[in-house]
Amino acid sequence: MGDLSFGPTIGMLKDAMHGASETHGVIANNIANINTPNFRRSDVSFKEALAATEPSDGDPNELALVTTDDRMIPIGGAQDVQPFQVTTTVDSTTQMRVDGSNVDVDQEMAKLSLNSSYQQTIGQLLQVQYTRLRQAIQEQS
Amino acid sequence: MGAYESIEVSASALSAERLAMDTIANNIANANTTRTPEGGAFKRQLVVFAQKPDPTTSGGGTTSAGFSSFGQMGTPDSVMNDDSASARAGVEVTQIVQDQSPDRLVYEPGNPDADGQGYVHYPNVEVVKEMVDMMAASRAYEANVTAIQEARTQGNTTLGLLKS
Repeated sequence: MGDLSFGPTIGMLKDAMHGASETHGVIANNIANINTPNFRRSDVSFKEALAATEPSDGDPNELALVTTDDRMIPIGGAQDVQPFQVTTTVDSTTQMRVDGSNVDVDQEMAKLSLNSSYQQTIGQLLQVQYTRLRQAIQEQS
Repeated sequence: MGAYESIEVSASALSAERLAMDTIANNIANANTTRTPEGGAFKRQLVVFAQKPDPTTSGGGTTSAGFSSFGQMGTPDSVMNDDSASARAGVEVTQIVQDQSPDRLVYEPGNPDADGQGYVHYPNVEVVKEMVDMMAASRAYEANVTAIQEARTQGNTTLGLLKS
């Protein structure tokens, strides 16, 4: 979650950006180990984690009361917000090469390209958000 | 993971693939060398790629050892959290080994390196095989260059947020 004063969108986009960067690192590592025998490729999943950071019910713009005890009654806004976490999984389910590696370079390149587009999309959305903020600050029409 | 660590991952592969290409070039260059300082014909050299050990944890963070046999489907054997860097440590050449396959024997009784029966021990280098290996190394190199380019594009997108 981002700073509530700037709305939840920027925080979410930031998390998505972070996830895309992690994904790139893992795909780069898969590609780097193309010729490594017995290498197992890794996968990153963060989109589920990203969805979990979204408030499940209530108005996301409403401030939530912090509850420090089970007996307290939660009021307003974001409840059960999970901290954003990127998980990396080693994929050992597939076996496709004689040398024991399961890296398919075509698949990895496609994923790399897809992740790059995703990251650029997030970047554009963030830019729009910042432009709006700047306009609000500078009282532009 | 920092912004440019993924570039380092790809860069480790670039140097590893380049070393592989150097080794292949050396093999081809010595395809007919019958004399070496160690004596005997030149031996074909092979690079051994290995996943880089995770610098953040002690001991082997790599999971390359336990792969199942053919056709056997397993389940994902480990789930790492965000802090574990073993999934993105890169690659390295751990050693260069000699191919122990037998020498190529050619009957040349006039050759000064011929043995008692008139056979010359030529290196166990097959140029066609080396060419295929070189293409594989070259394509892997290109793939990593693309990965670096994508990383740079992503970095530029992020830096572009400061503009406008």
